[in-house]
Amino acid sequence: MENLKIYIIIPAFNEEKVISNVITEIKKAGYQNIIVVDDGSEDSTFNSAKNSGIIVLRHKINRGKGAATKTGMEAAKLLKADIIVTMDGDGQHNPEDLKNLINPIINENFDVVLGTRLKNPAGMPFYKIIANWIGNFFTWYLYGLWVTDSQSGFRAYSRYAAEKINTRAARYEYDSEVIREIYKYKLKFKEIPIAVRYTEYSMGKMQKQGFLNGIKTLIKMVWNLIS
Amino acid sequence: MNSIHFYQIVITLIAFFMIYQGANNFFRGKKGQTFLKLLIRIIVWGGMASIAFYPKLTNNIAALIGMEGNINAVILTGFILVFLMIFKILSAIERLEQQMTEVTRKETLNNLKRED
Repeated sequence: MENLKIYIIIPAFNEEKVISNVITEIKKAGYQNIIVVDDGSEDSTFNSAKNSGIIVLRHKINRGKGAATKTGMEAAKLLKADIIVTMDGDGQHNPEDLKNLINPIINENFDVVLGTRLKNPAGMPFYKIIANWIGNFFTWYLYGLWVTDSQSGFRAYSRYAAEKINTRAARYEYDSEVIREIYKYKLKFKEIPIAVRYTEYSMGKMQKQGFLNGIKTLIKMVWNLIS
Repeated sequence: MNSIHFYQIVITLIAFFMIYQGANNFFRGKKGQTFLKLLIRIIVWGGMASIAFYPKLTNNIAALIGMEGNINAVILTGFILVFLMIFKILSAIERLEQQMTEVTRKETLNNLKRED
């Protein structure tokens, strides 16, 4: 494991208040290769992340969470990563779960490990649980693979999976597109329960996957199939 | 001969202006102007002007697509054309969005390569 290059990708948009803490926590958990992709933030997310002494990339204009995640994945591939983990920049994911996501790739030869909030939904608002099930249903219906949390951003990929997965979705439909790619390339995947820390901060953000964004995501998913 | 109504003149003038503008753009070689675009313009606006002057044309359209009511046929044809146009516009927007994302990503990764 020590010889493996593990990169943690964090897409971030206007996360100046929490990004430093997120990075510090990940470092404390034992992971030093961190790439933050500042997705055209209007605040000082870029500088806050840069001060933490990690790799910080910047999209000149906001292109969406999916686009930022893909940029981070491409960067990690350029840096010869063996394992790539994606996690949100608002602090809702617990870095203590990182090892649980990475170990199945190292020890059990899985290609993708999906963090799932739905196997342990303690603390998760009820409407989010319902919204997630709806997302799971449409992901299954449109892309053919049933997973318990199609909208989770906490995922780990082997190098092989990172090379195979090719998404074009720029926004929240990215997470579902990854599921489609897993199905398409028959990648070996596993779902691991993760803890989620919903805070006033993370729940209050405008650009998060709310009801209207959920509808937009669904329309985009359908559009991508017919266009 | 029947008298000419005001709406017929208005529709014909608008149609003439739109076709003239399209032809002008095409023959001047304006960027993004294709023969297909000009053809669509002629069919849509020319069709509107033709129907304004010869309403009985709608009966022929109705017979052609197998519908009983001529107005229904016109509305259906209009809907299909509008739908096709919206589809084309949305496809173009989507393509532009993806190109913007690609350019942004390329620049970001180039910066990483330079720093490396």
